[in-house]
Amino acid sequence: MSNLNNEALAGPLARIRLSRRSWFLIAALAIAVTPLVFQDSYWRTNLIICALNVMLAIGLDFILGYAGQLNLGHSAFYGIGAYASTLLIMQLGVPFWAAFVLAMALAGVAGMALSIFAVRLRGHYLAIASLGFAVIVHQVLINWISLTQGPLGIYAIRPPPPIALPGLPVISFGNPANMFYLVAGFALLFYLLLQQLVRSPIGDTLTAIREDEVSAASLGINFTVWKVFAFGVGSAIAGAAGAFYAAFVGTLVPDAFIITESFTILAMVIVGGMGTLIGPVWGAILLTLLPEMLRGFGDLRLVLYGLALTLVVLFMPGGIVQAAHILRARLGRLLVRPPTGAAQP
Amino acid sequence: MTNHRAVLFLGVAVIAGLGAVDAASAQDKVIKIGGLFPMSGPGAYFGAQDKQGIELALEQINKAGVNGYKFEIHYEDSGCSPLPATQAAKRLIEQYKPHVIIGEECSDATLAAMPLMEQAKVPFLNAGSSSIKVTDPGNPWTFRIMPNEVMQGVDIATNAYKRLNARTAVLLYENTNAGIGNAKVFNDTFTAAGGKILADIGFGRDVNDFTAIATRIGGVGKVDVIPTYTLEGQGLRITQALAQAGVTKGGGGQAIQLGTIWLPFGFEQKAGKAALGYVRIVQFDPLDKREVVSNFVQSFKAKFNQDPTHINAHAFDQILVIADTVQRGATDAQSIRDRMAETKNFSGVTGSVEFDKHNQNTKMDTIHYMETQPDLSWKPLGWN
Amino acid sequence: MLTVALQQGINGLVFGSLYVLVALGLTLIYGVLVQINFAHADVVTIGAFAAYFFTFAFGGNYLVSIAVALVIGGALGWLINAAIFAPLRERGSELLPLIATIGVSILLQNAMLIWFGPIPYPFDSPYSNEVIRLWGGTFITWQNLIIIVVSTLTIALLYAFMKFTFMGKALRAVAQDRETAALMGINPSQLIMLTFVIASALAGMGGAMLGPILVLTPFAGTTVIVKAFAIVIIGGFGNVEGTIIAGLLVGLIESYTTQLVNPGLIDIVVFSLLLLMLAFRPTGLIAEKREENV
Repeated sequence: MSNLNNEALAGPLARIRLSRRSWFLIAALAIAVTPLVFQDSYWRTNLIICALNVMLAIGLDFILGYAGQLNLGHSAFYGIGAYASTLLIMQLGVPFWAAFVLAMALAGVAGMALSIFAVRLRGHYLAIASLGFAVIVHQVLINWISLTQGPLGIYAIRPPPPIALPGLPVISFGNPANMFYLVAGFALLFYLLLQQLVRSPIGDTLTAIREDEVSAASLGINFTVWKVFAFGVGSAIAGAAGAFYAAFVGTLVPDAFIITESFTILAMVIVGGMGTLIGPVWGAILLTLLPEMLRGFGDLRLVLYGLALTLVVLFMPGGIVQAAHILRARLGRLLVRPPTGAAQP
Repeated sequence: MTNHRAVLFLGVAVIAGLGAVDAASAQDKVIKIGGLFPMSGPGAYFGAQDKQGIELALEQINKAGVNGYKFEIHYEDSGCSPLPATQAAKRLIEQYKPHVIIGEECSDATLAAMPLMEQAKVPFLNAGSSSIKVTDPGNPWTFRIMPNEVMQGVDIATNAYKRLNARTAVLLYENTNAGIGNAKVFNDTFTAAGGKILADIGFGRDVNDFTAIATRIGGVGKVDVIPTYTLEGQGLRITQALAQAGVTKGGGGQAIQLGTIWLPFGFEQKAGKAALGYVRIVQFDPLDKREVVSNFVQSFKAKFNQDPTHINAHAFDQILVIADTVQRGATDAQSIRDRMAETKNFSGVTGSVEFDKHNQNTKMDTIHYMETQPDLSWKPLGWN
Repeated sequence: MLTVALQQGINGLVFGSLYVLVALGLTLIYGVLVQINFAHADVVTIGAFAAYFFTFAFGGNYLVSIAVALVIGGALGWLINAAIFAPLRERGSELLPLIATIGVSILLQNAMLIWFGPIPYPFDSPYSNEVIRLWGGTFITWQNLIIIVVSTLTIALLYAFMKFTFMGKALRAVAQDRETAALMGINPSQLIMLTFVIASALAGMGGAMLGPILVLTPFAGTTVIVKAFAIVIIGGFGNVEGTIIAGLLVGLIESYTTQLVNPGLIDIVVFSLLLLMLAFRPTGLIAEKREENV
């Protein structure tokens, strides 16, 4: 990198750098305003699914990008969360928010169990183990008909109960706008939580493990504990998404959590930029909304989806985040006139 | 902020404009029918045939209209499965806003969509799903003109025992509401009559090879009948595998497969001689002497150059039932629902229609039994 | 009783040999490249469609269509390697090529969905319903016989190739230690390409023979591939003998689970076995020492 580039970046763009608090406000504002822009129930549905996918993507990114665990079975935790909360509510009469927390806990425990089981496995072995786990969960959901109704499906699932705050009109979650606020709000919350974790010493530990497990061990880091922790957190968030999914769609079938779902979430993480926290958010938004905008193209949209994923991996493995950095650097170079003296070789 | 305001303004303008267009077309007195049918997946053949029947019916009634009303239809693909059906139903209700919805074929899909119709207060007319759960709990907005699994199952099991002298059976069904429900009814009726169930085999829609299952059936002893509840794709493989294993008549054995309306015309041509001896219920007899039937068969042949199936007939009747309500004064969703519940003296291609208090059609006058002959044609058995 | 047990054994071996064909491709690729190719499933599906169209659209002979599918599969393998694995080899990442193949898989499946549609194709070979009665009341269809014969021949040929020819030995050399093999004058890139072509040709062939058995849709391959992964692990990544044994074993598990319990539990049994293997014997049934680079 020549001095020229550094100056280019240091120049006008340095002033554009915003504080973390400003980004948070922008995000909150974007969430608040979006349902007003998109009044159509069709688009509002897509936005809610977008928010769910953001939750799934950041959870997976924490496991994959930060802790370096090759998890190909994220859909299993999504499904566990959805079925756990739904069955608790409909069979045992547990109130929604209690069921929500329990579902998160159950999904988190499942994640930790898988992690403990796979603690000695590396790379591809872990990938196949997680895949196998996801297949088993999916098959159990299908075959244990007396518990889950299997392919018959559970329907007429209610949205979260309305909230009545004093002095305000009752907030009903049958209204897609309110449901969006709820889900997106939680997505933002989880994002902030993960951000805190990443910036804390825990984040450094995870990075150390991801980069070189053997060296990390020699430093005395008990990597088992942290791998399990990361898995637990990521899968608990997926469980939360599952609970919201069921309450929003209203019908629950095992095939919503087929293993190819895991690949879709993985795609969002990669296309967005693995190992960054904001990357998966963009990846989720792009890969959720893009197929819908391309709906006019019919099935071509999924072809483009696959193409996008392949091309990103081939040419831009850092995803959208990497693309943004490159763009920023190029823009910076355009905005700054080179100094009169030639750069030293 | 300016951008957002502009978009907001534009959005409001568009919506207002749409509203104006909507008001204009309302003047033309149209009854909007929503069509919730499978266009993709294992049940896609249902959707294709439904469309044919509906097209023919609409063509005929729109010539003169009914009470000054014309009828139009909009389809959404429900995929014969609960989740896509839920999403398709939502799209249909929220975007097309029909006065009445017809569909689905598969019970799982129908059951999942029903609560949405009830919530939106749109009547839902079904002619293809057999699960008792569609009408039993009593949903004032759901109607069914086809006999349910209890009506069919009791009939088929009783006839198997009495007319075929069957004393042993193996149940073979897909793991869906319709499959499990139908199998259970057969089980209860058959065993109550004194028969014995030798094996009860449910399978998922992802099973491709039935050789292992056919082998298992071959090993349970002398089997008289095999009630089979599955869609065409798997149905074909099952019939072939059973013949290969020498279990059914088509393979030199002696077992007879029993079925209902799930399998379409043309099944025999695809299955070949393996389908010999297959006995099934159909709710449509092309040789029925009633005028409505002969007109239907003639006009269908003229339009599509093929013989109509029971699926075509069911779809045709659904439109006729709706037209009948409009004839009696219905104009919107609520009145269509109310007039439909009162339907009397209606005679369609698939028989008479009169609903009980659960909105289940109680008339079974055109239940026929057909047996597959060596030349793959159907011979009516004259049991009813 | 014995008849049924025997028959289920035959059924299991038929399916097992098909699984072996598909899994061998995966294991070969892994052995040489240490990479998982998720698009392998779609090569199987494309092989099936190729055979279907050759037989029904062109009126060709079904047996010839198996060869056609083999060629098309091989060509596809060449393409995937050239476009995906070769460019990514330098980066040395474990994850990226895997994800790229996921992308290719999504692309292929949906492209097929557009070309062929979502409605299942009725693929019947002239042999699928012709039955041969064997001793003891057991039977086999001509289709199944073809499957067993073709698979066995192919596997035997492959095995001989790997063990006795120069190319085969070179392949194994590259699998063991790519750098040293290169020093010995072997061109790893060419051999890797050869591996891909062979592996995908096997997959295409498997697809052609699976076509009349499966319900033929663009997603047909995926029903087989996840099981193939399990087989590769149970047998041992990169281990040909292990894969053969594991494949046949899984086929037998399928038919006996159907006989004794319920077809729905097959996947649960197979994958529980997989997880058990991973827990206690990750190197597979036939433990071959693989040095993991530290």
